[in-house]
Amino acid sequence: MPTSSRVRCRAIDVRQPVYDMIAAFEAELDTMSFSDRMRYRSSVSELEDHIRFLLGPAPGAHIPVLIRDQYGQTRWDQAQDATQRVLMIESWDYSDPTQMGVLVHTPRVEEFRGTSIEPLFAYIENNATVMLWPRLTFYWRFLFDNPIDSHFFGGIWPELLGTFYLALGAMLFAVPMGIIAAIYLTEYSRQGMIVSIIRTCINTLAGVPSIVFGLFGLAFFINTMHISPAKSVLAGSLTLGLLVLPVIIRASEEAILAVPRTYKEASLSLGSSRWWTVVTVVLPAALPGILTGIVISMGRAAGETAPIIFTAAVSVGLPLKFWQVFSQPTPALPWNIYNLATEHEAVDLIRHVQYGMVLALVGLVLTLNLAAVILRARVAKKLKG
Amino acid sequence: MKSSSTMYLVALALTIGLASSMSPARISAQMQENRIVIDGSTTVGPIAKAFAEYYMRQNPGVNITVSESGSGNGAKSLMNSACDIAAMSRFMKETEFAAATEAGLMPVAHVVALDGLAIVLHPSNPVRGLTIDQVKRIYKGEITSWSEVGGPDRSITIVSRDTNSGTYETFQGLVMNKEEITQSAEYVGSNGAIRQRIQSTQNAIGYVGLGFVDRTVKPIPVNGVEANSETIISGAYPIARPLYLFTNGYPKLGSHLHRFITLYLTERGQEIVASIGFVPVTAYR
Repeated sequence: MPTSSRVRCRAIDVRQPVYDMIAAFEAELDTMSFSDRMRYRSSVSELEDHIRFLLGPAPGAHIPVLIRDQYGQTRWDQAQDATQRVLMIESWDYSDPTQMGVLVHTPRVEEFRGTSIEPLFAYIENNATVMLWPRLTFYWRFLFDNPIDSHFFGGIWPELLGTFYLALGAMLFAVPMGIIAAIYLTEYSRQGMIVSIIRTCINTLAGVPSIVFGLFGLAFFINTMHISPAKSVLAGSLTLGLLVLPVIIRASEEAILAVPRTYKEASLSLGSSRWWTVVTVVLPAALPGILTGIVISMGRAAGETAPIIFTAAVSVGLPLKFWQVFSQPTPALPWNIYNLATEHEAVDLIRHVQYGMVLALVGLVLTLNLAAVILRARVAKKLKG
Repeated sequence: MKSSSTMYLVALALTIGLASSMSPARISAQMQENRIVIDGSTTVGPIAKAFAEYYMRQNPGVNITVSESGSGNGAKSLMNSACDIAAMSRFMKETEFAAATEAGLMPVAHVVALDGLAIVLHPSNPVRGLTIDQVKRIYKGEITSWSEVGGPDRSITIVSRDTNSGTYETFQGLVMNKEEITQSAEYVGSNGAIRQRIQSTQNAIGYVGLGFVDRTVKPIPVNGVEANSETIISGAYPIARPLYLFTNGYPKLGSHLHRFITLYLTERGQEIVASIGFVPVTAYR
């Protein structure tokens, strides 16, 4: 791509005079009278900070250790902001003590009137677009890249994978348990006192706030059963599994009860055992309904934050290999969205990552649901035909 | 027939449950070497995250996980052996130390950085500084209007960290002298959340670690002293504290844990601490 590389070269060429002008002015500073030197020193260092924030460190200067400080602004919206801050000084006017202050913008060039650095500001204003070289890119690897420097750069792969593991693990645990429980409640138990108590318990469980499940998971799976040395995907999955268990039980129960009695009676009258009838006749007929329950709970498991705070989620970590899920915690979308929205040290600078994560989570849940809707339609069609 | 089937189902459920709980312990024993789990303070969080990122870049194959859940939780995790490093923005309490030694652990403190609690206001607030006594009286609820400390006639919205936080404990000790914060104060869960509350509320006052101060909030001098590296190291700034990483015993020399925990002593480590906005322990100057 000859054109774009030529543009990139030009961007670098156009930046150079900015650094040169500052260096020249700093050299000039040493030849000034003491009072002038004092007058300009702090304004120059402030100007330098703003320019470093916009364009990155000068070529040949010390390379900062944090990657976020190495490149200047890489997004057009933030670059425009940063350019404004180079050109304008934001200050607050507190002249009326009975009122809150008012934000005033004064051109920064006023501070340097009559000095050799004065043309710098017009230069930056006129060449900002060339220097920053804005262009539209679609960063599709956002989903599959590891984050770099606490999410300043890079993607969200560990979070995505973690969410996937957690939801899948919860299903592996909750689906067999839930279906077995539903079969017991509908086909095997004698309807009476005990079963109605069990039903009440299940319904109550469905109403328990999710943070309670989180604390239970911490106290039971990690601190009591020690299923993993620290937080882990396993502990989080089991906790999420408990959370969605009642939903799966109820949905499966409803689905099994909706299977016409005649199906069962026909099977039993042919001499089939009760267990065999359940496995070969009742469950297949109830499958679409059961799948609905599974889909709903899968979306819920993927999106829950509170149960995984104490059992599985961390703010920084590598994407896990599948055998590591038994012992290691993982970043996960819901928790990291919360983390990026409130706790992160630079919330305002990385909003786009936060929005990207939200979109990814919504997309993930939507895809799961869509896949399951299609699956269910197929199963239902197959059963009819 | 019926009861035996039920028994079969119960047995099946139990087997699934047990199988999933037995295997991990064995697997994890081999993995222990290449992973470091950090839990604790949201103030130390940025340092821990940057260190983790830097260390993982230098040593591929090591997985360092960082959670930010508050100093209190960090201490609890360490006591339960649920983490290798507890990040804390205060020293361990006596009770926590006692509980740890009772559990057979010996917490060792590593001071990785120094920090001043900046008292922050909305930038539009004309108040130019407060004495530590004024801050205390604001948080006790005795001063309720900005006009009493040289500002406009507006009521003060008090924002504080939650009681699980080391920053809260520091504030309690150094500013409040253990006296109660007023009932009308708002409690939020992290430094970042305080900053967001302040930048969206003109009347608010709050306190955050130095690394969380940016241009959207206004840190004010306390007792006429601004919070910066000089005043914090010299002790001139009245609300300053060290930030800790706690380990169980001193880590085995040469292990990843040892190399990670001594990262703050290297020049790169100090640069990381400084560029996040905290104060390195040793000032090269």
